[in-house]
Amino acid sequence: MTETDREAPAGIIADIPLALSFDWRWKLAIAFAGALVLLLVFGMAQPVLFGIGVWGANVPYVWGFDLVNYVWWIGIANGASLFAAILVIRRHDLRTSINRFAEGVALFAVICAGIFPIMHLGRPWLFYWTFPYPATFEVWPQFRSTLTWDFWAISTHVIVTTLLWYTGLIPDLATLRDRSRSLRSKTVFGLFALGWRGSVRHWAYHQTAYRIVAALVLPLILIMQSTVAFEFATTLVPAWHDTRKPLHFVVTGIASGLATVLFIAIMLRRGLSLERYIDDEDIELMAKLLLAASLVIAIIYLEEAFTSVLSGPLAQETLLARLFDQFAGAYWAAILLIVVAPQVLWFERARSSLLVCALASASVLVGVWLDRFSIVIGGMQGDYLPSVSGTYLPTFPEWALLGGTLGLFAGFLLLFVRFLPVISMFETRHAEHGDGS
Amino acid sequence: MSRAYGILAEFDSADGVVAAIRAARAAGYTRLDAYSPFPLREAADLLEQRTLIVPVIAVTAGLVGAAIQYYAQYWMNAVDYPINVGGRPLHAWPAFLPAAFIVGILWASAASLIGMLALNRLPRLHHPLFDAPGFERASQDRFFLCIASDDPKFDRAETIRFLERMNAGRVQEVAA
Amino acid sequence: MNKYDAYRTDFAALTGQQGPRLWRSLEELADTPEMRRFIEAEFPYINEARTDRRTFLRLMGASLAMAGLTACGDPTVAPLYSQPRGNWADALGQASTFASLLDLDGYGRGVLVETRNGRPVKIEGNPLHPASLGATDVFAQAELLSLYDPDRSQGAFYNGKDVDDRAAPRVLAEARAAFAPGGEGVRILTGPVTSPTLRALISAMQREYPAARAHEYSPIADDNSRAGAVLAFGRPVQAVHDFSRADVILTLGADPFGDMEGHVRHARDFADRRRAAHSGGMLPRLYAAESTPSLSGARADHRAVLRPAEIGFFARAVASRLGVVQDGPSDVHPMVETAAADLSRAGSNALVVVGREQPAALHALAYAINAALGASGTTSRYIEPLTAAETGHMASLAALAEDMAAGAVSQLLIIGGNPAYDAPADLDFADLIRRVPVSIHLGLYRDETAAAARWHLPRKHALESWGDGRAFEGTAGIRQPVATPLFDAFSDEEALALFLGADTHDGNDIVRTYWRDALGAADFEQSWTAILADGVVPNSAAPALDVSLQPDWDQQLPSEALPGLTVLFAPDPSVWDGRYANNGWLQELPRPLTKIVWDNAALIAPATAETLGLKTGDIASFNAGGRSLLAPIRLMPGHALETVTMPLGYGRRAAGRIGTGVGFNAYALRTSHAPWIATGVEVVRTGEAHALVTTQDHHGMEGRDIVRIVAPDQAVETPSTEPQPSFYPDYAYEGHAWGMTIDLDTCLGCNACVIACQAENNVPIVGRDEVARGREMHWLRIDRYHAGDVEDPDTYFQPVPCMHCEKAPCEVVCPVNATVHSSEGLNEMVYNRCIGTRTCSNNCPYKVRRFNWFDYSPPDPEPRNPDVSVRPRGVMEKCTYCVQRISAARIDAKLEGRRIGEELMTACQQACPTRAITFGDINDPASAVSRLKASPRNYALLGELDTRPRTTYLARVANPADPEGSG
Repeated sequence: MTETDREAPAGIIADIPLALSFDWRWKLAIAFAGALVLLLVFGMAQPVLFGIGVWGANVPYVWGFDLVNYVWWIGIANGASLFAAILVIRRHDLRTSINRFAEGVALFAVICAGIFPIMHLGRPWLFYWTFPYPATFEVWPQFRSTLTWDFWAISTHVIVTTLLWYTGLIPDLATLRDRSRSLRSKTVFGLFALGWRGSVRHWAYHQTAYRIVAALVLPLILIMQSTVAFEFATTLVPAWHDTRKPLHFVVTGIASGLATVLFIAIMLRRGLSLERYIDDEDIELMAKLLLAASLVIAIIYLEEAFTSVLSGPLAQETLLARLFDQFAGAYWAAILLIVVAPQVLWFERARSSLLVCALASASVLVGVWLDRFSIVIGGMQGDYLPSVSGTYLPTFPEWALLGGTLGLFAGFLLLFVRFLPVISMFETRHAEHGDGS
Repeated sequence: MSRAYGILAEFDSADGVVAAIRAARAAGYTRLDAYSPFPLREAADLLEQRTLIVPVIAVTAGLVGAAIQYYAQYWMNAVDYPINVGGRPLHAWPAFLPAAFIVGILWASAASLIGMLALNRLPRLHHPLFDAPGFERASQDRFFLCIASDDPKFDRAETIRFLERMNAGRVQEVAA
Repeated sequence: MNKYDAYRTDFAALTGQQGPRLWRSLEELADTPEMRRFIEAEFPYINEARTDRRTFLRLMGASLAMAGLTACGDPTVAPLYSQPRGNWADALGQASTFASLLDLDGYGRGVLVETRNGRPVKIEGNPLHPASLGATDVFAQAELLSLYDPDRSQGAFYNGKDVDDRAAPRVLAEARAAFAPGGEGVRILTGPVTSPTLRALISAMQREYPAARAHEYSPIADDNSRAGAVLAFGRPVQAVHDFSRADVILTLGADPFGDMEGHVRHARDFADRRRAAHSGGMLPRLYAAESTPSLSGARADHRAVLRPAEIGFFARAVASRLGVVQDGPSDVHPMVETAAADLSRAGSNALVVVGREQPAALHALAYAINAALGASGTTSRYIEPLTAAETGHMASLAALAEDMAAGAVSQLLIIGGNPAYDAPADLDFADLIRRVPVSIHLGLYRDETAAAARWHLPRKHALESWGDGRAFEGTAGIRQPVATPLFDAFSDEEALALFLGADTHDGNDIVRTYWRDALGAADFEQSWTAILADGVVPNSAAPALDVSLQPDWDQQLPSEALPGLTVLFAPDPSVWDGRYANNGWLQELPRPLTKIVWDNAALIAPATAETLGLKTGDIASFNAGGRSLLAPIRLMPGHALETVTMPLGYGRRAAGRIGTGVGFNAYALRTSHAPWIATGVEVVRTGEAHALVTTQDHHGMEGRDIVRIVAPDQAVETPSTEPQPSFYPDYAYEGHAWGMTIDLDTCLGCNACVIACQAENNVPIVGRDEVARGREMHWLRIDRYHAGDVEDPDTYFQPVPCMHCEKAPCEVVCPVNATVHSSEGLNEMVYNRCIGTRTCSNNCPYKVRRFNWFDYSPPDPEPRNPDVSVRPRGVMEKCTYCVQRISAARIDAKLEGRRIGEELMTACQQACPTRAITFGDINDPASAVSRLKASPRNYALLGELDTRPRTTYLARVANPADPEGSG
């Protein structure tokens, strides 16, 4: 291997965080993200100050955008972590290029998701009552509730994702420590590098622990996503009361995670000119995975219709309501965007076009959001008593929360690409050294 | 001069350092350690670095965590403050399982990562090696072998010579 | 002023002169040395403890009770109380209950008013009063809110400008000073007067001022039946119907259970007879021939949808089958045969009832039929008219208007009522009022009439003033104040007394004086005490008159001539004639059949609407006789063709912050010569639209078993009930286990339970916009379903409170244990534990849970039940089975060392006119609820979900005559 070969990875990737030059595109982007975060602040202040009546929710539509967005974000988070974890375990080549920011995506997404379970409460400032602490009421949380399960799931997810991400970062932080010219960055990176020396012992334990956590992420993600589904499946609501819901949520979640990762990959590759690390094969491989996911979702949708037909009159009515009633648009648009649109990726030329891939992944993301909408809102249409009726219309504060979390996500990502190595440098070295497997 | 931490030899290739390790073992050195910018399987094997302890920690912690979570749920809902909730059993074991499972995973992953740091004696922000000129490239593109001064076979001059024979780059003594 | 001052002063006023002394005497007593010694003996710690006033008073109250000192020592205090302990209870902040009287168009309904510390907090029916028998209608319940209405007139004004509050006596005196000799030009306009005291005052006036005239007017008056009586019997008598003896009932455009005077009693008698029938006996059969769907029509076994004009022909056809008249039209409607057959079979137990809209001749015809069937004396009897005896209301008002137009009126005193708003449009009454030199309006609100009159004086609310009145069948009841007047105001009697310069103008004196004379001075005090406690004057029911048909009773029915649509005017089920327009409870109360809130709409048959190219929400212009009116349309299944029903009482211009500008004013089309049925109305669609807000827009039951209907003596077929294997243990409920049954066979959908629940449980109103968003807060809703063809559907009502499921799905999904089960099987909400995930509502298949999307808690001043916490923003709430009443009952039972018995009633149960709701202990096999749950008609709503609801329903019984018309 040549000098440049070894120099390179540490070189280009490490120089991004170390060079404190922020070009105008980055500044523009972060400014836009900041503006959206202000929108988020507004969106969060409204319900806290005046009550969640500022939303379009009502009885029976007690849940609106709050849950739609939550389920959407958590799906992205789970999909991304699952993807990253699988790459680590399989020691797949993609991991060199994808892992680091895939884990980042998961972390930022779960943070965005975590906002909603708190904000959707009638009294958000009391969210901590779901945590078992010796309260003056002397009453404990109610552990039979799927919402309590979800409390544990989200907290676990945040912690584990953060640990996994940070562990992966430690060796690279050491690299940054050792490369940084200014004392300040040396100190900062040095602190977070924890004194990593890259000794044989370090590497051995590090790699084992890293892989174990990655392995643990798999079941965590599956049960986490299922727990979200249980919040619906365990209710009596005809459209939700359905054992197949976890499957639906997991599959669509993975697709949205994949789509996000692919989308971000393309952005990074263009934005930071990382063609060498995120090469065409990586992109094409992910495009194929996305295509596969969308085919699986096609099956899931068919299966949903099929089981509903078998599940008796009420379930049939509620499905028909989702298909043809006031929120039918969301259902069909979801199918169009998740199932139909990605079929373009069958074509070599489409897969090799960054633009097409970006559009395809964006379409899946929007589609999955609409799928959540169709389940949470559209599913509320058919109830046991015909006298119970009504409708739901999202209000501006609700849109503000959606846009705001998007801004928050983008903001995190932008800071991440600016201050941390977006590609795992040691993995890259490893791969290029050829000792990959 | 003060007591040395050890002798540090720099190599510019993984193969170089691996060879050096092999030779050092052959020469009977026992207190060795190698430093590389990415994991070196062979080096680990040569130094007989065991890692089985990590999964053991993970599994144990996971089981303990799950048990604690399950019992906490049972105790809070069925023992300490039993309430008739929707006519469900006080000890609703199926409903207590998911959280127990999740929290088990939490403990397992947290334990394995914290355990990893502990086993690596990290965080340790200062270490004699950091004073060695050029050692910063251990995290980038150079490979190092260090023979500790408390090695029974350690002899300053002899060890330096030995390492130089390994066509290492710079060989230097690291102050403790 | 703080609460304590409030109840002290209230109490003072309640107890007349004695009150304040008694109150002070509490403290004085407490300060007397022996009292001190006594208290220190009983409560040694009282001196160490720096007890605040409240605690001290409580201790003292207790000790006084122990000391055996009774509160009833003072005879002038006791009579005010149904419960002599009341005044002590007030000191303890406990409930004291007063018997009083509320009137609707003059007809009294006896009530019991519960007060806390001198503030009325709840109104119930007076079981001793014939028009109530313990139940109430929606209006009686809502009077509580009107009492506290901040928009009430709080002071006199002159030409719209505020004047000194104490101006009233001077104003009335000056007016009297200007009386012409003999009272020429002096006029008094009241609502319908059944009050003996007020009558006495009026006749006193006419003795003193022979030329003065008194007029009575109500927009909702029964002039036609009176005129019909004149045709039939040659004298104006008033019919009193007795449904307790009616086996076959035919209503001709009438709603005896909905808006006819005595409707509460009618409903109760009808229901009792049905219940009796379920345990053997004849099940009463109800035939309804009507143009507008009504509560009675919804309950009918047979219903004929007829245009207003056709109802007359229908009646004649029936009459001819019964041989009452010779020439009867044939094949008017298939129901004629069966109805006639049934009526003749029932004979003296048959009853024909005619609506107040119908022409006099039809009323006469009905009297004749009842007479021919021998029903007079059994199911209907005749008494001297209780109101507007000689002329009838509309004529009385028209006469007054004539005089005013002619400038013959110099002093006009308008007592109550709002003629400037609700007089027929052709009289242009507001303008006439302005022409009168001295016009004085005594009213609860500064309304349209107040604006037109020169002087406006604030009127006392019924709950603040002394008075009396007669029930629909003549029984006199006494109205005693239950709260001190919130503002410096006058009752009708007081104002009239001032106007006439009577020697006393204190309401108490006036009423007492009248009754002392009426009852005779001998041991008056004792009898008066008893009367006040009971609220009714014993055996004061009007004697039945012996009337006989006139030979020439049969008059030609007016036949519809004019082309175009017919407009029917009707009192609104919520705001009546407009007097309750500013009452939020009533405005937000879904109208029984349309479920519209905060609005009225022109009801029209779907077929007719189609031909006119109209749909629900379209605004149409109605033109007749040069007058025109814009009104939104609401398609009404089962409405007569080419006919429009317009609810009165909306479109107020000066009702208050709640009622002003709500809906359209149907009076604008009303004329004095055709006050009920306007023919030849032209309808033009404007293209404009108006969003009508309803709480239920869905009509059908989707073929699900929601409201069950069975044949007489038939059982509900329920899914097999053998226990399925289950993860869930059966919890044992030792002690009490509360449960409820709702009898869909007797439920009329009248809404009394809904508003009673609202009053009892501090349920807030949320306003039109919030209801439009689906955020109404009623803990108890009444679902309305239609079945059958849209031309003439069956209509079912189903009250839906919380079912208190034993396997409550809502509880198990709550993450914080905020909704849990009580040891007696209540599904409880812990408001202060709730964090508002709303997932419980998701999991409630009945969707009875309500969420505080904003801070809805009612603002002061508003009646609040101190036993029920006001819910903060962001928490869930729902029906509690009136847990506060259960606790109160438990305390009483413990004090008296017994089990809780049937005296425990939920608010909805207590208000229900038909006793359709039964609540009690299902662990006690002897309890009423247990017996009803054993009935073959008992079923659980959505029972297939196995949520084990504690609230179950009794199937409705359909009792149609079989085709041959044999019973």
